[in-house]
Amino acid sequence: MAEVLDLRVEIDGRAIVDGVGFRVLPGRVTALVGASGSGKTTTGLALLGEYPGGARVSGEVRVTAGGAVGRTTGGPVGRTGEPVGYVPQHPASVLAPARRVDALLMDIARPLVRHLPRGKRRAAARELVVRALADAQLEDAEALLRRYPHQLSGGQQQRVVLAQALLLGSRVVVADEPTTGQDNPTKRRVVEQLAALARRGIGVVLLSHDLDVVRALADEVVVMRAGRVVESGPVERVWAAPRHPWTRELLDAEGGSTSFDGGGARSRRPVVRVRGLAARYRDGSRSASVVLRVPALDVHAGECLAVVGRSGSGKTTLARCLAGLHRDFEGDVRLDDTVLPRSLRRRTREQLAGVQYVFQDAHASFDEHRPVVQQVARTAVRLRAVDAQEAGREAVKVLARLGLPEDLVRRRPGGLSGGELQRAALARALLARPRVLLCDEITSGLDAVTRRDILETLTEVVGELGDLALVLITHDLATAALAHRVAVLDAGEVVEEGPALEVLHSPRHPFTRSLVGTAEPAARP
Amino acid sequence: MSGLRSFVARRLLLGVAQVVAVVLLVFALTEALPGDAAVVLAGDQPDPARIEAIRTAMELDRPAWERLVDWAAGLLRGDFGTSLTSGRPVAQYLTGAFGPTLLLAALTVALLVPTGVGLGVLAARYEGRLVDRLTSSVTLAVYAVPEFALGVLLVTVFALRLGWLPPTAVGHGTDLLAHPGVLVLPVLVLLARPVCSLVRLVRAGMIDALASPYVAHALRYGVSGARVRYLHALPHALAPAVQQLARTIDWLLCGVVVVETLFVVPGLGTVLLGAVGERDVPVVQGLAVVFGVVTVVLNLGADVIAHRLAPRAGVAA
Repeated sequence: MAEVLDLRVEIDGRAIVDGVGFRVLPGRVTALVGASGSGKTTTGLALLGEYPGGARVSGEVRVTAGGAVGRTTGGPVGRTGEPVGYVPQHPASVLAPARRVDALLMDIARPLVRHLPRGKRRAAARELVVRALADAQLEDAEALLRRYPHQLSGGQQQRVVLAQALLLGSRVVVADEPTTGQDNPTKRRVVEQLAALARRGIGVVLLSHDLDVVRALADEVVVMRAGRVVESGPVERVWAAPRHPWTRELLDAEGGSTSFDGGGARSRRPVVRVRGLAARYRDGSRSASVVLRVPALDVHAGECLAVVGRSGSGKTTLARCLAGLHRDFEGDVRLDDTVLPRSLRRRTREQLAGVQYVFQDAHASFDEHRPVVQQVARTAVRLRAVDAQEAGREAVKVLARLGLPEDLVRRRPGGLSGGELQRAALARALLARPRVLLCDEITSGLDAVTRRDILETLTEVVGELGDLALVLITHDLATAALAHRVAVLDAGEVVEEGPALEVLHSPRHPFTRSLVGTAEPAARP
Repeated sequence: MSGLRSFVARRLLLGVAQVVAVVLLVFALTEALPGDAAVVLAGDQPDPARIEAIRTAMELDRPAWERLVDWAAGLLRGDFGTSLTSGRPVAQYLTGAFGPTLLLAALTVALLVPTGVGLGVLAARYEGRLVDRLTSSVTLAVYAVPEFALGVLLVTVFALRLGWLPPTAVGHGTDLLAHPGVLVLPVLVLLARPVCSLVRLVRAGMIDALASPYVAHALRYGVSGARVRYLHALPHALAPAVQQLARTIDWLLCGVVVVETLFVVPGLGTVLLGAVGERDVPVVQGLAVVFGVVTVVLNLGADVIAHRLAPRAGVAA
């Protein structure tokens, strides 16, 4: 079906993939797992005949079907003999925004009908397209083909991308992080679709650091680290008896051993009190719609509150209201005993320092032209009126505490990895000596090992500080389980709130039950 | 699509208001200018009694608002009024001058779009290579030359030195199509700067689009390179260029005064210049109406097309 033999990809003399080999069998799911930077995406793209610019490639990638052998060896490689399908992390990214859905599908179908007389080609191509959409379980194909990508739901976009691969007649499909950053129901849907592909006899290559999904879906696992395969085998064997220490570490990381409970210094004194909050978004000139209602919510000193819910449930809006980034709301947000002005601009310096925000996309939150340490130190200068030298010393100290050595943080943001930048962003927030720290999905998009490390560090630091209140916004229930309390949001309403153990293990509200119930992806049918 | 329809209706209503505002403003400004048509007509015998007589004859002694209301009432019946200085209907001025202007504009746009888009795509395709560097530096250089300077330069070289082309359109009346030679230099001058801005916009948009995952995806699935470039990437890259194109057409239609004057083309720009000089208020107002309508319609068209090319952005009234 497809075979990778001793693949080596080198950029500027540095091997990013080295000696990788595995086979993809029809109707089986082969998962490449490993932390970010382990070379799994480069390997996956090699199956598509795509390599990073300026790469030196050796080894062999064979994609075969029914006896025909296409191979690519070295150099800038074009198409292999047999077309390979691709399912990206964000299906919307591969759909041209200015073209209707049928544009690319018809372009794919056109070569398939070339043998027909000219007059019949169009209708035949159309028929192929409609059949592929039906195979991808898309209903009402005719209407759907006339829509633009942005008019489709996420699930429909994903199915359209699958339909493209089916239409192409791919016997091998590469799925690149298809569930990363998705909430649980979405994950379950993606898993179901990929399983359906495998049932059609297609060999699926799954690139993922989401081990839940790998366990639910994969038949074979290839564990990669630093461009090499450290272990491979059937998923049951690798999970039950990992042979390589790195595999064990990867699997342990998923378990999640830390908890914010260690700190101990919880008090009953609320730091943040939210009363009667109703946040709106104005949609053009029309009347505003309320997207979030929080009648009452307290966060206490030394406490970690996890806010969970699906995407679009209003989690981030809540944090933005607290931080003063979203000001179109009614109700009170109190820090200690004073009501915070709604707008950031009208808050005093102490109030600004008191509420700090760490964003999901750490990279976007740094200026790429200045060294990281300078930007971290700036918080203390701006918000606590510390002089620049003193702030610099303090920044280096806090960054070191978070595991970032001084020579690293003297670099610009481009020189740090995603996980390292996220730590720097945490340090930047901590330098304001905040009363409450808002962490918005800070670990989603990171691999399991990095995620665990960051959460561990965060736990320790919060424990050391004692009276810091932490709001952890996440869709990952394993992360939420580390918190003291959990608030569950659904469609802008707080449906359940209570101690983490209670909410996550014996949920009362049906929505929480569905969320918890799907935390483990559905087993393969 | 109903959202789009109500958007167009709203914009057209707004457009009517905008045209009315332009006419009022232009009327007020011409009134504020020192002197009037009577003074101009009196010519080199500025005898106050004579000027007063002319003023009475032309009804210029009536209050300004009365004249405006009269003129507006006529406009509603499709009557643009009559010229103060020549007594000919304003509509005749407009239709006569619109021909040459439209001809120049149409020729310019017909050359502008393929050249601009083609060069932009070419430069983007070979980003950073010789073709791109050459295109980028030449367009920047040409863009920096104002059109009167370029016009004078072209006339000097091609008309006066080499004698290949006539220097101006003098003596050909409004039927310029019968003498295509006179159109070459004006069209070149009109083309010069718009081509440059269009090339640069298309290039920037195409570079983004060509680097996008959806282009990689289409190529990966075996769609031919040219098809991907022109049918999948280009529509997305054109959205900003369309707005720029609308402004260019607007500029071409609303009297390119400098170029028309330079080449003595009897278009709207020439009429405008003459009318302002003679304080011929009805002609100026007629032109203001035409320019206002053209601008509103073109920008509306550009927004509708841009909405089609970037459907995610929605329409903003």
